[in-house]
Amino acid sequence: MTEQEIAETVNEILEEYFEIERERLLPQVNIFEDLELDSLDIVDLVVAMQKKFNVRIRDDERIKSIRTLEDIYRFVAALEKEGVSPAAGHF
Amino acid sequence: MRRVVISGVGAISALGNDVASLVGGIEEGKSAVRYMEGWDQYIGLRSLVAAPAELKNEKAIPRKSRRSMGRMSIFAVQATEQSLDDAGLGRESLSSSRLGCIIGSTMGSAESLSETFETMLPERDLSRLSAMKFFQVVSHTAAMNVAQYLGITGCVMATSAACASSLQAIGLGYDLIRMGTQDVMVCGGSEELHPTVTGSFDILFATSTGYNDDPQRTPRPFDAERDGLVCGEGCGILVLEERERALERGAKIYAEIVGYHTSGSGEHVSQSNRASIVHCLREALASAELSPGDIDYISAHGTATKHGDEVEAKAIAEVFGDSVPVSGLKGYIGHTLGASGALELIVSLAVMKNGVIYPTLNLNTVDEGCRGICHVREPLRRDVRTVMKNCFAFGGINAALVCRHPEN
Repeated sequence: MTEQEIAETVNEILEEYFEIERERLLPQVNIFEDLELDSLDIVDLVVAMQKKFNVRIRDDERIKSIRTLEDIYRFVAALEKEGVSPAAGHF
Repeated sequence: MRRVVISGVGAISALGNDVASLVGGIEEGKSAVRYMEGWDQYIGLRSLVAAPAELKNEKAIPRKSRRSMGRMSIFAVQATEQSLDDAGLGRESLSSSRLGCIIGSTMGSAESLSETFETMLPERDLSRLSAMKFFQVVSHTAAMNVAQYLGITGCVMATSAACASSLQAIGLGYDLIRMGTQDVMVCGGSEELHPTVTGSFDILFATSTGYNDDPQRTPRPFDAERDGLVCGEGCGILVLEERERALERGAKIYAEIVGYHTSGSGEHVSQSNRASIVHCLREALASAELSPGDIDYISAHGTATKHGDEVEAKAIAEVFGDSVPVSGLKGYIGHTLGASGALELIVSLAVMKNGVIYPTLNLNTVDEGCRGICHVREPLRRDVRTVMKNCFAFGGINAALVCRHPEN
């Protein structure tokens, strides 16, 4: 997946599952303070990402340091770089 | 003991999403029962009829509040908001520790519970589960969600006694206000339809199965051709308020609650028990300091099961004889289970207000075993000053509530 495709897919999740308007989905926004997600939402965000990218990330420690939308994009890109191609779904 | 009045009502039912639609539909003799498309895919489900309500305007509840709500909790929030508006209680009054809410149901959201297992079981994989399923399926989901959404900080509870849930919620709210523990209680019950809910009755041979091609002819409470219950869904909420408080603020008063009793049969998990029902009805009358002749109308439980209707009719006959008019409302809106006590009590308040007793829909020929009581089969114009609402639930749970016209 290209960076653009990753961002698009993550944004789709936030729009579809969390009803956040697309115009608010800017890379630098803080998902807690700006998008008002909380710890329960993060559980569902992970569930949605697992489904969308066909990965298993629930126990990945890096999730705890996610603050911005860009952090999510980078996290997914890192998964891909590690050879865990999200699109291929080997992870 | 302090006195308790009903100062607001709200309803979502298969006849519509407010109290006017519910009462108006019954006045017009409408049945909301219909054939349920897709239910025939369930092997062994023989009852393919139900009375579904319409879920609408749910997006008016912000996502962050709505995420923990299944269908039944959304119904509960909407009916509660109606009841508060009707009572003229502003949202600012809800954060008083003197205002609480008790909303009962048989269980949590059946749809959410089903989705949970459908998600988890194929691969025994818990990592696919949403964090919100727990909040949608817990037994106190309706009460909890209503209290959270509206900011209610008094007593928050859920009664769970199947078909007696909401009458127990109202009875408990009545007691809390009488005793001085709370001043205002938002009470009722909520329930949602799902094939698994009808299925749970179907496997017990308690559902109507012979009218799938002619849904509006069932259920048939007390009728010779009745063949079981038909599930419905919705929510009924009543605002209970300490009488002096309601009078002081010039609130509209629908009725005063004057008596209540609930008791167990200790006999059988599914079969109604006549002696214990008789006991419950008599205790409810005693708590109201009334005699059987003081009751002007009995809103029956009347689920249209063979056994249940007969036992209820015999119990009513034993306590009241054949002079007090009796009708049941499940022919119109189906059996709304944990919501039935509240929804049907709301209609009983309309009976008092309008001076018309609504008949039992689909009661054409009174079954031989259900005779000996005064069945209402046509709209009956009458000055109704005192009503009794009955609910009898699986588990041998009986409940009866007595309300009096506010001008008494």
